[in-house]
Amino acid sequence: MARNRFNDTVAVVGVGSSPYGRDLRRSHLSLGLEAAVRAIEDAGIDKQEIDGICGSGMTPLAQGGAGFLSLQGALGIERCTWVLNGWLGSAFVYAASAVASGLCDTALIVQTYQRDPGMSRSANADPFRRALQKFGDVGGDIGGSDFAKRWVHSGEPYAAWMKRYMHDYRTNKDAFAYMAVNNRSHGSRNPAAVMQQPITLEDYHASRMIWEPMQIYDMDVPVDCAEAHVITTTERARDLPHKPVMVHAASLGGTRCGEYYENTLGWTENAHWVAAQGLWERSAIRLPEVDLFYPYDGYTIDAVGVLEAVGYCAPGEAGDFLKANWDEAAQVLRLNGRTQVTTHGGGLAQGRAGGANFYSEAVRQLRGSEGARQVDGAKTALINIGSFFHDPSAVMLRAE
Amino acid sequence: MRNYGPIDDFTVFELYPDIQLTHDNIEHYRALAERKLVINRCGACGTWIYPHRPMCPECWSWNVKPEEISGFGKVFMFTLLYHERDPGSATREPLPVAAVELVEQKGLRYLSRIVNCRPEDIRHDMLVRLTWIEIGNLEWPAFEPIPGLGSDARG
Ligand SMILES: [Zn+2]
Repeated sequence: MARNRFNDTVAVVGVGSSPYGRDLRRSHLSLGLEAAVRAIEDAGIDKQEIDGICGSGMTPLAQGGAGFLSLQGALGIERCTWVLNGWLGSAFVYAASAVASGLCDTALIVQTYQRDPGMSRSANADPFRRALQKFGDVGGDIGGSDFAKRWVHSGEPYAAWMKRYMHDYRTNKDAFAYMAVNNRSHGSRNPAAVMQQPITLEDYHASRMIWEPMQIYDMDVPVDCAEAHVITTTERARDLPHKPVMVHAASLGGTRCGEYYENTLGWTENAHWVAAQGLWERSAIRLPEVDLFYPYDGYTIDAVGVLEAVGYCAPGEAGDFLKANWDEAAQVLRLNGRTQVTTHGGGLAQGRAGGANFYSEAVRQLRGSEGARQVDGAKTALINIGSFFHDPSAVMLRAE
Repeated sequence: MRNYGPIDDFTVFELYPDIQLTHDNIEHYRALAERKLVINRCGACGTWIYPHRPMCPECWSWNVKPEEISGFGKVFMFTLLYHERDPGSATREPLPVAAVELVEQKGLRYLSRIVNCRPEDIRHDMLVRLTWIEIGNLEWPAFEPIPGLGSDARG
């Protein structure tokens, strides 16, 4: 076993979400502040108790965004001993590890996402969204005029991986279809979801082709939204209003792929496999004990890759496995007859939050506070968020 | 200055193509185009909020609206630029850049030029007032000494 500094000593005590919408006409910062205020109020703490912030984005100084520099001033938080920006699933792990290490006692995570101008004609007609792209910063040139750099931080290699996966394992699109239908079924029961209509397997196969073989229902839905979480020590959490949801173990992941994603490693060597292995080397909770499973669904192939990476089935067998674990009446997955998957609808139905809403849903389920959508007796949740190519997370949460 | 008529969002984006306009700061630039200097203010507790935020950092009210400032303040700190950021640029007559603390609130500072004053005469805590200068066919806020008034402290 590798060292596990979490081991239930750190807990999520606050969760806050902004509204989700296709066009909320608000800044990243505005959405982030709404989620942050809700998370801090949900935690039942004074804002000055926050001494660590993980903001959104890849650079600390981004204006108009919800980075730590903007957030701390805008929330009126006086002193932090730890600050950082992050995105996708790793932001949560950064903040949890800052609390575990003692760099701060109570960390606020704020993650904001917007419908970017490249995502549709209507988004591109909005001058505010065009400005987001013009002044956005992912730390270098992405593509530009050199076609050979087109797959630097691109979604297109995921489509190529779908094709390669089906070729290598002589399989079809069943696995992707079941994942898409599952998420849309759950989304239809989530009032916050942008996509309220469930879809059928037939709808999935008939949907618009985007990057062959990737179809529109394989892709998460771009929205304007924000999620925020408050993490502190489990000791402190016991004095706060909600049942603590503890970080049992976590891992990040990196490979030698590099920033040109055509240099990706083999299917079972990508970053999700590394993160999953890192988690299993640290977690005393094993896969059969997982009550809720939250595989990132930026594209359906993310979720299928994670499903195989954590070990639910052998590589290439996701289609058969999901078919065998399909609840036809409810149109949802029940892995090994029980474990439900992405109970809020994920990015495919609730909307694209870079996976941050997976953490929010997991915490609310483990608190037992999801009302009509509550999964009875859920005590453990496995969350895998991020990219095949860079910094995915693997996190085991548990409640007592 | 040109008369732009009713200034809609698209016009503000046209006027300030190299500014990162957001839903939180666009009213500031719309007002600049009308030769007004506005700062966001909390309608619940009265706090002036700068940089432009949609929510009050003191009381967390979302009732935040831009309000025109009096235009009076004093020089909190300043420097004289002999060079542009381009390291190849030639030394030139110094350009003063000053953080003007506005009288509306302690710590509320607006970065601006000091004009109608020799650079060597600028002092810390010197009282200044808002004026406007034309640069690139647009009018921009600047601050100038108030005739008859010096600084209320030695520079
Ligand atoms: Zn206020």
